[in-house]
Amino acid sequence: MSTANPTCREIEPDLVALAAAEASAAATRRVEMHLAECAECRTELTRYRAIEGMMAGLRQAPAPGGDPTLARAELESRLADLRSRLVRFGVFESALGPILIGATEQGVSVVEYLASSRAASAKLARAHAESVEDRPRIQGLFRELAEYLEGRRTRLDWPLDLRLSGSDFQRRVLEATSALPFGAVRSYAGIAREIGAPRASRAVAQALRHNPLPIVVPCHRVVGSEGDLVGYAGRKLSLKQRLLSLEGLRVGGHGEALHVDRNAVYYCHLQDTEYCLPTCGSIGDKPLTDFTLYGSRARAEAVGLAPCTSCRPDLHPLPA
Amino acid sequence: MADQAFEAVVAMHHAEIYRYLARVTRRPSDVDDLCQETFLRAYRAHAALPPGSNVRAWLFTIATNLCRNHWRSEARRRRAQEAMTYRAEREDSAGPEGEAVVEQANGRLADIVAMLPLKQRLAFTMRKIHELDYNAIGQSLECSGESARAHVFQALRKIRRGLGELAIAPIGTGDRET
Repeated sequence: MSTANPTCREIEPDLVALAAAEASAAATRRVEMHLAECAECRTELTRYRAIEGMMAGLRQAPAPGGDPTLARAELESRLADLRSRLVRFGVFESALGPILIGATEQGVSVVEYLASSRAASAKLARAHAESVEDRPRIQGLFRELAEYLEGRRTRLDWPLDLRLSGSDFQRRVLEATSALPFGAVRSYAGIAREIGAPRASRAVAQALRHNPLPIVVPCHRVVGSEGDLVGYAGRKLSLKQRLLSLEGLRVGGHGEALHVDRNAVYYCHLQDTEYCLPTCGSIGDKPLTDFTLYGSRARAEAVGLAPCTSCRPDLHPLPA
Repeated sequence: MADQAFEAVVAMHHAEIYRYLARVTRRPSDVDDLCQETFLRAYRAHAALPPGSNVRAWLFTIATNLCRNHWRSEARRRRAQEAMTYRAEREDSAGPEGEAVVEQANGRLADIVAMLPLKQRLAFTMRKIHELDYNAIGQSLECSGESARAHVFQALRKIRRGLGELAIAPIGTGDRET
C-alpha cells in the first residue's frame, strides 16, 4: 500500500473488511478493481489475511495467565454467600402508604413504611444490606399483606430472617412479640418478663422501636403498662391505632394520648387457660402488665382459651 | 428457580468471560477480581433481565464496563504498561527462526493490542477473539455498531503497521491465498 496514493488509503477499510470476510458485494468489487492495478495492496490483503489467521490461532489458544477453574470455584463460594445475604425487595402502595418488603433466601428480613417510594434504596443501604429490586419475587408477599390489611387474613406465616436484627436480646424480643396472636395485646413489661428479663421493659420498648419487620412481627400489639399506645414506627401512632382496630381492639383517646380501652377487652392472666371479663373478681388489683388482653371472645378462643367459670364471659359478653 | 437459572449462566459463560478479561487486562490478579465482580453484578441484576435477552452479550457488557472503570485508574495503567514493556524486551531478544517467528509474531501482536487505546482493544478482542457482532460490541461500549466497527478497523490498522513483516499466517492456521 502506498500511503501517498489516496485511492489506497480510501480502499483500506474495504480491504480490511474483505480480509475478515465481512465485505459487502460492492466493497468486494471495489477492492478487486483496485487490486488489479495495485501490487502493494495485494500484499496488504495477504498481510491482513495473515492477521486474521493469527487471530484464529489465538481463539483456540488458552487464556494467558490465571486459572479459570480456580476462579470459578472462588466465584461459586462468593455467590453462595451473596445468595444467602442478598435482600430482594419491592415497594408497594398499601392501605397504610408506600411500603417496602424485602426478603432473603432465608425469609422476610425487612418491612418499612416509606415516606416516599424513592426512599427504599437509602433505607436498605443504611441497614448495610446488599439489596436488589425484584418486585415479581416479592409480589406474593405483598398480596398477603394487602389481604391482612383488608381484614381478609389474620396471619402472615412468613419465614423470617432476623440476621439484620441487631443483638441477641432484640431477636428474643422479636420472637416473643411474634408469638402474640391476632387481636391480642400485651405490655412491654409483659414481654420483658416472658424473655426472662423482667426489669428490662424499657429495653424491650427500645428493641421494638427498631423492629425491622413491623406488622409481620406485630409490635403494634405491645403497649404501655396502663394500656397506652406509647409509640409506633417513629411518629406513626395512628397506624398502630388502625392496626389494632383492624384486629377488633377498641382504642380510646386522641392525638398522641391513645390507649386500649381497658373496659372493652377480655383478660387472660399470665399462663392461665381461661379468659375473663374486665370486672372479674379474679383480676382484683393485679397489675395490667400481668395480662394479655383480647379484643373479642372469638380471638381468645382462637388460641384455645376457655371462658372463666366464675365471671362467665360466655353468658355476659361485652357489648360489641 | 431463578438461582438455578443463574447457575446455568455461570456454567455456560464463565470460561469465556474469563478469557476475555484475561486478554484485555493481562494481569492475572485483576482478571480474577474483574471476572468475579462481573458475575456477582450479573447475579444481582439477573432478576431484572427481560426474558429472551442475549445473556452472553449482556455479560460482555458488564465485563466491559468493569474493565473501563478499572482502567480509569492511571496507576493501574502505568503498572500494566511497565509489565508489558518488560515483556516486549524479553521477546525481542529471541532469535527469529521457524516457530520462534510465529511466537515472536504472536508476542508482538499481544504487545500491540496491549498498547491500543482501551475502546479499540475491547472492541478488537470482542470481535476477533469472541466473534461478537458489531451491534453487541456497540452496546458494550455505549456506541453505535458502526463506531464499534471503526474501533476494530483502527485496531487492525495499528496491528498491521506494528507487525510489519511479521504479519505472516502461522503454520497450519488461517486462510492463505491460493
